Formats: sequence, C-alpha cells, structure tokens
Amino acid sequence: MQYMNIKYGTPFRIPRRLGDRFKDIVSIRGVKYIKGTGFIIENKEALDSINKILVKMGLILKPLINCYICGGNVDCDECTFNKSCHKAVTHCICKTCFQQRDLVNIYISKQTQMIRRLIGE
Amino acid sequence: MLWTEKYRPKKIEDVIGNEEAKQEVVKWLIGWFTGNKEYPGVLLAGPPGIGKTSFVYALANQFNLHVVELNASDVRTAQHIYAKVGSIGGASTLDAFTGSGPRRNILLFFDEVDGIDPKADTGGLSAILDIANKKEVPIIAAANFPDPVKHKDLLNTFKYITFRPLTPRQIIILLKRIAANEGIAVSDELLNNIATKVNGDARLAVNLLQEASHGLDIDITLTPMENLPFEELIRRLTNSYNINEIRNLLNSNSNQIEDVFYTYYDLITRSNNTSFEDKVRLLDYCIKLNEMFGRMNKKRSFYLFRYILTLMPWFIYSANRAGIVYDGRIPAYRFKLFIQNRKYRDHLNEVYTDRLKMILHESYRKFVTETLPTIKFIDIKDEILEDLLTKVI
Ligand SMILES: [Zn+2]
Repeated sequence: MQYMNIKYGTPFRIPRRLGDRFKDIVSIRGVKYIKGTGFIIENKEALDSINKILVKMGLILKPLINCYICGGNVDCDECTFNKSCHKAVTHCICKTCFQQRDLVNIYISKQTQMIRRLIGE
Repeated sequence: MLWTEKYRPKKIEDVIGNEEAKQEVVKWLIGWFTGNKEYPGVLLAGPPGIGKTSFVYALANQFNLHVVELNASDVRTAQHIYAKVGSIGGASTLDAFTGSGPRRNILLFFDEVDGIDPKADTGGLSAILDIANKKEVPIIAAANFPDPVKHKDLLNTFKYITFRPLTPRQIIILLKRIAANEGIAVSDELLNNIATKVNGDARLAVNLLQEASHGLDIDITLTPMENLPFEELIRRLTNSYNINEIRNLLNSNSNQIEDVFYTYYDLITRSNNTSFEDKVRLLDYCIKLNEMFGRMNKKRSFYLFRYILTLMPWFIYSANRAGIVYDGRIPAYRFKLFIQNRKYRDHLNEVYTDRLKMILHESYRKFVTETLPTIKFIDIKDEILEDLLTKVI
C-alpha cells in the first residue's frame, strides 16, 4: 500500500495511473478540482470517500496537521477535543505547546514572525 | 459594545487560525504588487463566522490599502459594478475612493460573491471577471459555498484559497486573548465548554464568552414560551433586563423579530430619557442591524437570520439599559411596514420553519423554541443544510 500525505484545503495531484477514477473523485461532495492546480479536499468526510476509492488502487491519502508553534506533528488522538473537532486544518497546536503558560503571546509572535518573513523585513 | 466588534482584528497576526491560507493570500498580494499577476484575484471560500471578511480588512490595513467593498448580492448587474468601481482602466477612476488624502492603493473586495446566481445574473459575474482580467487592481472575493459548476469561471480565474472553521484549540487561543485584554478570569471549564460547542465559529465563540462574562449561563437552557401577540411581546421585551429572558422571548417569537427591531428603532429615535451618547451608539447598532435585515431579506439567508438572532438580544438589552421605554404606541407608518414585512416573513416561515422542521421531524413549537437557536450545535453539516435549503428554495 502506498501512502501519500495531503493537507486539507491545499491542492494536490493524484498519480497518473489513477486518472480513470477522476470522475468518481470529483463527484464527491467536499472535493474540488481546479484545472491546472489539482484536487482540494475540504473535509474529513470527503477524505474518507476518496480513500474508499483509492484504497482499491493501492493508495491511501493521509492528512498532515502541523503544530503552528513548534512545527511538529499534531496528534489528534491525544487531544481532548478529538470528538468535537472537524480536524480539516493544515495547522493546529500540539499538546505540549498548548500547555505553555504564555500560549497566546507565543502564538501571536509566531504570526508576527510569519508576516515579517513574508514581507522580507 | 459587542466584543466581536471591539476585537475585530487590526493586523493579520490578530487573526487566529487559517495560518496557511493567510500566508497564501499575503504571498499572492506581495506577488501582485511586485509584478507577478498570474492570478488576478483570490477567492476565499469558507463558511460564515470564521473571519474571512475580518482578515481581508486586517490585510488591507497591514498593507495600507484602501478597501473598496462590493457586496455581490447588491451588485447583480454589470452596470452597478462599473458604476461603483469606475472603468478601472483610467488612472483617475479609482482616485474617487481615496478622497483628497494621500493616494493609497486599492484592494477590491467582493464579499459573498456566491450570492450571484449566474442564472439570475445580468452581467455581474462577468464584470467581476472582466475587472480581474485587466489586472489593474488586486481583487479578493469571498464566498461561503462556491458551486463548482455555477461559479466555474470564477474558480478557474481566481486563486482558490480555503478558510476553515477554527479547531477548538484555536478557539481557546482566541478566547484567552480576549479574556486577558478584558482582564477577566475565565475557567478552563468554560473555555472548553465554548470551544466544543461552536463548531469552529469564531464569532459565535466570542459572543458566548461575552455572554458568560456577564454572568450568564451559556448552556442552552431555553424555556419554551408562548407565541405572543405583537404588542404584548414589545411590552414584555421593554420591561426585561434579563438577557436570557429577552433571548427566550425573541427565540419563541422569532417570526416577529423584524417588527421588534423596527419598533425599537422607532422607540430609540423618540426616547426622551436616553443620553445623547447612548442614542448615537444604539442608532449605530440599528444601522448595522437594518443592513443585515436587508441582506437577509434579499438573500433569504438562513445564516444571517441565525446571526441576527444572536445579536438582537444584546441590542434590546442595551437599549433597555439606556432607558428605552414603551409608550404604548406604534406609529401608524410602522404598521404599513409591518404588513410589507409580513410578506417576506411568511416566506421565511415557510422556508426555514416548515421545511426545516420537516427535515428534522419536529413540531413547530419545539423547532422554534429549541432547535432553531441551537441549530449550529446539531450535527448537521453546514454544506448539507445549505444544500437542503437551496433545493427547497
Ligand atoms: Zn507544538
């Protein structure tokens, strides 16, 4: 079985050999196809539906969620909000960072850094 | 003041969540101003209440851009759009928007672009695309639920960026920040409670925190109430200083909510025992609500209806606190208005109430008193609800 990491809301392409399942995939609610860009998966339900198709062809898509603060992996299984969360994000906060006392300021300064980096200040 | 207004983000870093999406937009905008105009615009897609509009304004603020906002449901025709934007080709055309001050660059913002139905559209969508393809002004469009078929051209032309509801942990960061600013102590239990309830809706989360900070129980414990005759409803509302009671009254008489609003509008303008400052503040509130009602009627938007239902209790509560009293008369011209309103209201009733209660297999009463106010907390996906509603409409 081949695994492929994807991020929710971020375009990706499927291997060429799966091209004949294109129609099935774009007809799934919560999946968008943008010409020249690729597929976008909007939510977990859509991901599950895609995987039902792809698993028969030997491919499974795995969502990646990174911690916005430390960049590490976010493990939803150890989150107390696991059940009430839609999880369809590219970033969240990992358990360790979430427990930091100064969480809010750390988060905001991360954002400030991100903007500065982009603007090139 | 509503915290959702007070804490509207001023800079991008104030916008919590959607980190990657925000970066994408910033990169695109920087690219645009440095000559990379591969995408003439960005389409921000995502459900209401997660900060798309706030982000656009924060972005503009950070880059010192002047936002020219067009609400897509207001500009269905090409003429309207060009009239407001000017023929972008000429250098002088957009100067009008910058006033006499130092000239700032423009950011065109089309909110609710999916409010344009290509079938009913008389050139509005193609005007947007036309303006976009001239690549003279950066454009951001926002949509709740763009349709892959109906909005194909838009999707193919604009850079598509998804905004997602916040995760509970992100909601908690948002709430902690506000609590710190307000200098209030908030228990983890309350934060967790809100974060698990709001389905990633940042706006709702902030409203609930504000309610809780006023000592209110945020658990949805609505007592079923009778549907009241209009005058009796106004009498009860104007005599109440308890937000839960006001909310219950409004929720169980939500079919009269616009009449209530206009009556209050009238009472505020006529009130003798309200300070000038309070009047200004309340009338400002009125203008905003009035605009929302207008949009709700035009778009038959269930989301706006729900949003209005969360705002109205606070509006009435603060009006009462500012000394608004009911003098036992509703001006004659209001009655005319009420009759007009009733037309759309019957429609709203039919669409939102009858159909939804059918979908949910509930009685009218249970639906209005319990389900409607808590609809967000029911495990129905927004998309499905929207889909059902559009089919019904
Ligand atoms: Zn972390």
